[in-house]
Amino acid sequence: MTSTHSPHAESDTSRDSEDRPTTALSSLRVAIIGNPNTGKTTLFNALTGLRQRVGNFAGVTVERIEGSFKGADGRRVVVLDLPGSYSLSAGSPDERIALSVLLGRDRDDRRPDVILVVVDATHLDRNLFLASQVLELGIPVVIALNQFDLAEANGVRIDVPELIHELGVPIVPTVAIRGEGVEPLKRAMLTAASLPTPKRRFELPDAAAEALAPLAACLAADGMPTDAAHMEAMRLLGVNHPEPHVASVPGIAGAIKEAVKSLTHGGFAPARFEAEMRYAWIAQVLSRTVTRRVNALPTASDRIDAFVLHRVGGPLIFVALMVVVFQAVFSWAAPLMNGIQAVIAFAGNVIGARMPAGDLRSLVVDGIFAGVGSVLVFLPQIALLFAFIGLLEHSGYMARAAYLMDRVMRRVGLHGKSFIPMLSGYACAVPGIMATRTIEDPKDRLATIMVVPLMSCSARLPVYTLLIGAFVPATTLIPGFTLQGATMLLMYLLGTVTALAIAFVFKRTLLKGPVRPMILELPPYRWPSLTSLGVSVAQRCQLFLRRAGTVILSLSILLWALATYPKSATDRTMSLQARQEQQLAHSALGRMGHLLEPVVRPLGYDWKIGVSIVSSFAAREVFVSTMGTIYGVGDDNALALRQRLINERHPVTGAPVYTPLIALGLMVFYVFALMCISTIAVTVREAGGGRIGWGWAGLQFAYMLALAYLAAWIVYAGGRALGFGG
Amino acid sequence: MASLLPTINSRPLPAAERTCALASCRAGSRATVVDIGCASDEACRLRALGLCEGTDVSVIDARHAMLLDVRGTRIALGSVLTAGITVQPIPVRG
Repeated sequence: MTSTHSPHAESDTSRDSEDRPTTALSSLRVAIIGNPNTGKTTLFNALTGLRQRVGNFAGVTVERIEGSFKGADGRRVVVLDLPGSYSLSAGSPDERIALSVLLGRDRDDRRPDVILVVVDATHLDRNLFLASQVLELGIPVVIALNQFDLAEANGVRIDVPELIHELGVPIVPTVAIRGEGVEPLKRAMLTAASLPTPKRRFELPDAAAEALAPLAACLAADGMPTDAAHMEAMRLLGVNHPEPHVASVPGIAGAIKEAVKSLTHGGFAPARFEAEMRYAWIAQVLSRTVTRRVNALPTASDRIDAFVLHRVGGPLIFVALMVVVFQAVFSWAAPLMNGIQAVIAFAGNVIGARMPAGDLRSLVVDGIFAGVGSVLVFLPQIALLFAFIGLLEHSGYMARAAYLMDRVMRRVGLHGKSFIPMLSGYACAVPGIMATRTIEDPKDRLATIMVVPLMSCSARLPVYTLLIGAFVPATTLIPGFTLQGATMLLMYLLGTVTALAIAFVFKRTLLKGPVRPMILELPPYRWPSLTSLGVSVAQRCQLFLRRAGTVILSLSILLWALATYPKSATDRTMSLQARQEQQLAHSALGRMGHLLEPVVRPLGYDWKIGVSIVSSFAAREVFVSTMGTIYGVGDDNALALRQRLINERHPVTGAPVYTPLIALGLMVFYVFALMCISTIAVTVREAGGGRIGWGWAGLQFAYMLALAYLAAWIVYAGGRALGFGG
Repeated sequence: MASLLPTINSRPLPAAERTCALASCRAGSRATVVDIGCASDEACRLRALGLCEGTDVSVIDARHAMLLDVRGTRIALGSVLTAGITVQPIPVRG
């Protein structure tokens, strides 16, 4: 099934086109496009062998993923993975990017030499809509007929040679998840550049062709390749406003109006003209190339959905899944975390033992190992959380969660689709905010961006884990679920409920507007590709490690220096801990902390917590490394930070510095506070960039900080008033 | 090169009294889309998803939002949309 098929020579295809980019270059540029959930990314990974470069398209935060492989003829093939699109009508920012790249109107890209269209063989009719548009762009096309095995298993038989004859381009059946068909596909991509460029595969009625000709000419006059201009002319009939890539074409609005008038006069319905033409052609093609075994039995997806989307069972399954995820993140990662902690402590001791006592040893052991090490131990938890979120996404469950949550989301003025970025925000607010680009309405999108950082992300995990581990007993509530897991879940729930409430406020004040209706595809359930899942988890872990090696390392060194200098006079009669306390209080960090103390005192915090909070404004997890640095000073025994917090006593009163109430208040503070430079940067860009972007990011930072302070004060003051001490 | 003239408009439009809003269809029922009467952006997206005039749809679930089977794909639509889509119910055989 993996043999490459070449298209039959068609009389209506030309050997060359005046619009076609030259391919006599050392490398070949291939753009991959396809409907969402067609296995496009899995195929991209299989083609490029995971050699990817992730960046952003110019001017927008839409992720730009590029990879490459060396072709059999020695040429380097650069593959660009375009965002998933149902059609070339660009309703959302990511679809707009796909279209402008294919039309050569992207700021920093030339047109691709070849377009690879990934088509889901199990849903050929719907997928051929996009493919038929791409065939008219005047660029050589190769089609990957992915999930070919699944189509056959479902009783769908596709006559591939006949389909090639119908479409006039090379078609390669593939099973991307198993790497089947990848080599023939690579060969087809290399040869496609020298094949005739495809053309429109059906004829328009004469009256319609005449009506559209002036519009196509208007686009071509602005430099758009002729073939693409004809495709665009038909596409623009169903679009409300011309998208940015064509909006500036001189006379475009008038030309569209004229084309609509002529078509209406000819007895056509302009808005649905393109859909009718393409689906009519698709129906004819499929009648000649596809046979289906009549199968009335429900599919596995249907049977799973009967439970997962059940009115009562569905929400219960959703809650149960969330409980399992958070309990697992807390308990399954523990052995690995202990292992990493032991390795870091061992390495610190070994290196420390080989260095002479003095400031340099203190910097390495107490500054770098204590600071960076205290954050590194959370790597297993972060990897697990990303793996779980990835599993939900890749398996197809995430869209079901959005459908289930539609009712709740609608009450706050958003729709179910906004829940997907919010759920992604549990892993990290940055991809969460970027996931909002699938939301078509700008106000809904902005309201979602404003609340995504309230979803507890993985950077909060180190703070929660440290405080829960130290102050919440591991009492078993139900078998397999402890009070610690419940506290963690409570923190996540608090963030989620608040996010919904704040979205409600935004949608009724600054971002007032009607609720746009939800349109959401629920993809069939499938086993996630372990390779794709592994790659995405590895990428996120790499980012975390890079942050630990840069931001957190620099801050750890800075904090160590601030905690070490200026030095206090040493009194040898004092205990080691008392000497440490004296040094800290005398140091620059201590002095800064004492200055800050009045601000954090109403929350029940001492100066050390105040310093740790301030130091974590750039990245939340620095709170833990600052604690590690503060309490790691002079501590050669590498006592667990957790134990140090439990044992910490007020120097005057002797009362514990950290009580469960203070720990709870601190956790609540971190639920709400936006302390992440990356999130601020992505909000600025996604909210419109420039002054507008900074305005929204500033508002986001300010309201979250105010909320954090107020909530932490309510917990502390309220808890004390209720007699919980503290 | 395929000519599509005989295919388009070959389906007779149903009598107005036999049509209804998609929103009023019950779970388990089937219907043919007659008209997509929503904003052009949404209509354009629906058509790209395969839901266009003349398409048969099955209603899988009908609550606040509606879950449809369109050309073998499951699509969830908000209630504002389903109220604007006119369909002709397909009678159940037997």
